[in-house]
Amino acid sequence: MPWRERGGGANIKLKLNAARVVLVVAGLLASAGVTAAPTEYQVKAVFLFNFSRFVEWPAAAFASADAPFVVGVFGHDPFGSDLDEVVKGKSVNGRPLVVRRLRRAADGAGCQILFIHQSEQRHLSEVLSALERHSTLTVSDIPGAAQRGVMIRLVTEGGRVRMRVNVESARAAALVISSNLLRAAEIVVGGE
Amino acid sequence: MPNTPFRHKLMRMVLLTSGLVILFTCAMFVTYEVVTFKQSVAQQLNILGKAIAQNSTAALAFDNADDARVVLSAFRSDPHIVSAALYSKSGELFASYPDRVAREDLPGTLQPEGYHFERQHVIGFEPVRLNDMVLGTLFVKSDLRAIDQRFRGYGLITALVIALAVLLAYFVGRKQQTEISRPLLELAETARAVSDKHDYSVRARSSGAQEISQLTEAFNHMLAQIQQSEIRSRAQMQRLSLLQHITGAIGDRQDLPSIFQVVLRNVEENLPVDFACVCLYDAATATLTVSTLGASSQRLAAAVGLTTDSTVPIDENGLSTCIRGRLVYEPDTHKIPFAFPQRFATNGLCSLVFAPLQVEASVFGAFVAARRAPEAFSSGDCEFLMQLSGHVALASHQARLNGALRQAYDDLRQSQHAVMQQERLRALGQMASGIAHDINNAISPISLYTDSLLEREPNLTDKGRAALTVIQHAIDGVADTVARMREFYRQREPEMTLALVDLNVVARAIIELTRAKWFDLPQQRGVSIELRSELSSTLPGIMGAEGEIRDALTNLIFNAVDAMPEGGVLTVRTLARPGPGETELVAVEVIDTGIGMDEETRRRCLEPFFTTKGERGTGLGLAMVYGMIQRHSAEFDIESAVGRGTTMRVTFPAYTQPLIAAARATDVHAPMRRLRVLLIDDDPIIIKALEDALVGEGHVTVAANGGQTGLEIFATAHATAHPFDLVVTDLGMPSVDGRRVAEGIKSRSPRTPVIMLTGWGSRMIAEKEIPAHVDRVLGKPPKLNELRTTIRELLA
Repeated sequence: MPWRERGGGANIKLKLNAARVVLVVAGLLASAGVTAAPTEYQVKAVFLFNFSRFVEWPAAAFASADAPFVVGVFGHDPFGSDLDEVVKGKSVNGRPLVVRRLRRAADGAGCQILFIHQSEQRHLSEVLSALERHSTLTVSDIPGAAQRGVMIRLVTEGGRVRMRVNVESARAAALVISSNLLRAAEIVVGGE
Repeated sequence: MPNTPFRHKLMRMVLLTSGLVILFTCAMFVTYEVVTFKQSVAQQLNILGKAIAQNSTAALAFDNADDARVVLSAFRSDPHIVSAALYSKSGELFASYPDRVAREDLPGTLQPEGYHFERQHVIGFEPVRLNDMVLGTLFVKSDLRAIDQRFRGYGLITALVIALAVLLAYFVGRKQQTEISRPLLELAETARAVSDKHDYSVRARSSGAQEISQLTEAFNHMLAQIQQSEIRSRAQMQRLSLLQHITGAIGDRQDLPSIFQVVLRNVEENLPVDFACVCLYDAATATLTVSTLGASSQRLAAAVGLTTDSTVPIDENGLSTCIRGRLVYEPDTHKIPFAFPQRFATNGLCSLVFAPLQVEASVFGAFVAARRAPEAFSSGDCEFLMQLSGHVALASHQARLNGALRQAYDDLRQSQHAVMQQERLRALGQMASGIAHDINNAISPISLYTDSLLEREPNLTDKGRAALTVIQHAIDGVADTVARMREFYRQREPEMTLALVDLNVVARAIIELTRAKWFDLPQQRGVSIELRSELSSTLPGIMGAEGEIRDALTNLIFNAVDAMPEGGVLTVRTLARPGPGETELVAVEVIDTGIGMDEETRRRCLEPFFTTKGERGTGLGLAMVYGMIQRHSAEFDIESAVGRGTTMRVTFPAYTQPLIAAARATDVHAPMRRLRVLLIDDDPIIIKALEDALVGEGHVTVAANGGQTGLEIFATAHATAHPFDLVVTDLGMPSVDGRRVAEGIKSRSPRTPVIMLTGWGSRMIAEKEIPAHVDRVLGKPPKLNELRTTIRELLA
């Protein structure tokens, strides 16, 4: 009987879909690193990933149509494997997310998001000038970084990670930051 | 509420209808609103939730609870939001609105995406998504006071709308109703006025809407119809009462002229008409004869030419239709080309009605009514005239029947009287018959002896012979008188035996016989009647029954005498005159100079029981004469004039054949052989006379004084060598009468002739009542010659 065979097939498919949903949720929870007590850099890794969601890059920011979305870490890598865990299997607008650890400032131009560790405090200006005319979202937890031209500075206040956004820098880099993000962040003006 | 005025009902209907419509509309609207508003509340909450969720992405993504609270505080714009909360991906409360939210305003567990109503609240769960990533869940709870408020608003509006609508409907309805109900009330008022006052000339005023004015028109039309029919019925009533009056009046009258008169007078005065008359129809001549004219119609009738007894021929004009039994109405006589209606037209009578007077399909007359104005007779008038003519016809018919009945009653009374008279005569006749019988017996010996003496005694002196001849004639006279007396008792016409009769002889005899009537009785009264006997000397004989002719002549003479109470001349005349062809007629006339007869009497005088003599007459005299005349093929003429006397003439055909009678008497005296004769009679004198007569003839007689004795003697003699050759017996004897004697004789000796003598004899002969076993019957007194002839015939 055709209908019974078809019905049986549909049921099996539904069960499969349900199983997949469960797996995805479990994966997300796992990838987000939401565990009992996340460390500071575990949170910051998630932040980095989340920026890919709240910021729009111009097409020119990518070397090619199928170029990956690159999250770069310049300087000392505080995340360990946490960042890799977070972006693993993720993609932005069809581009697979990849993490690259950079040694040279010039390499930052190939990244869409570049985390500049405190260890590079001295080379900040160099890094920033290297990234001029590149649509790279610069993120750093160096104190006063935002004022110095870093687009988003991550500040830890009372055990919570907060953002300070230099909108001008971002605009200069032709990046559009979501108003949602801006509302959750503190806006700073550069050059002070 | 059947007594509630119409307009209240109408108003209530309008208000109820409009209220219900509005209520229904509002209910539908509110229901729709409730459903859609709930949906819209849920939808609004959904939109709001989605917006808030969208705005909460960063707060969740970057773990900023403060920002989340700020975002949630946007719910403050909606006062109905009871609580809201953001939950992290792991289901922990991240932020809430208001900040310090009551525990019961937050859900126990998170539920899948969607909004639902829970008691007085709408609860929604909205996932906070960033692209395809779920960051957490937004919970929103809103109360439904908005709905309540809205419903209250709706209720208020509905109530207000209904109130306004009803108010508006009331005013509009009242205005409209006035337009409808006012003409209706006016109609009702008019109807009441009409029914109260019976004034059908009132008309309702036409106004208002088309339907109402149609109603009013219909009402007015109805009133007009009622008015017309009321006028008609009133006229009908008047005609009916007139008809009743007339029929009552004619019911009291029995004769036609009086009936017609009363009808005409009433119709002229009360219908009324200008001209009225009644005509009678004569089918034989096909004419109408004016019988009676109305009192007021006389002058016009003279002008029209319809005076009393004038006739109108029936041709193929309206009258012929009337005569066929149908009412004819000519609305305008000027337009009728026939002569009769034109006579009316020229005299100014334009409307003309002929109503047939008809009884059982036969029209015997016509009722004619006319008016001056054209078309002046309504159908009701015609109907009335038709009915009236029916009544008149019936009354006339009844009057005629009544007349006929009276006539029949009179005739019956006369018949009864005559029958009584006849009964008296019959009793007298019976008595006379008995007397005649006795007289016949008594004179039998005288007759026999006288005959014997005259025949057998040659030595009689002339004087003695003359005396005996007188006796013989006297006896003959007595016998004749007795025979006539017996005629009274004769009930049936005898078989007429015709004989040659000489009218002169009869006339003479009757003149003598009736002398008492025409001479003695008038003389006693001091009146003188002169009798003239004018008998023709050369009169031929006729064939007839002399007795009947004598009776008839006697009657005629009696009548003539009765017609001359003051005296006069009575002429009895006989004459002969030539008849048609070779025949000759003989007439006898009885002429008086008395009072004569008028036409009526002359016409009826031959009717049985018709008499002018009152109690003295039977009314049968001339009837008897007429009967005789018919039997003799004679003719009867009566010439009479009042005061000039009467001539009664009976004309017989003459008998001219040669006479052959009396030839038989030639050998009466021839010798005859001696016979042995047995004589049986209870009367010894008759026995003696018969013995003497027969012995004188040379016969041997044996006498027996009774029937029984006679039979014994006959039987004894029959056994011997000398039986009897002849038996002569009386009829009436005690014990064994003549019939039984004859029977006994014939049973013993059938060939022995039996002659019966009887005082009733001639009647028996006349009526052919000769008893069985009797050869011949002879009446008493027996004539010697007759007896001799009979014996000779029987034993020759």
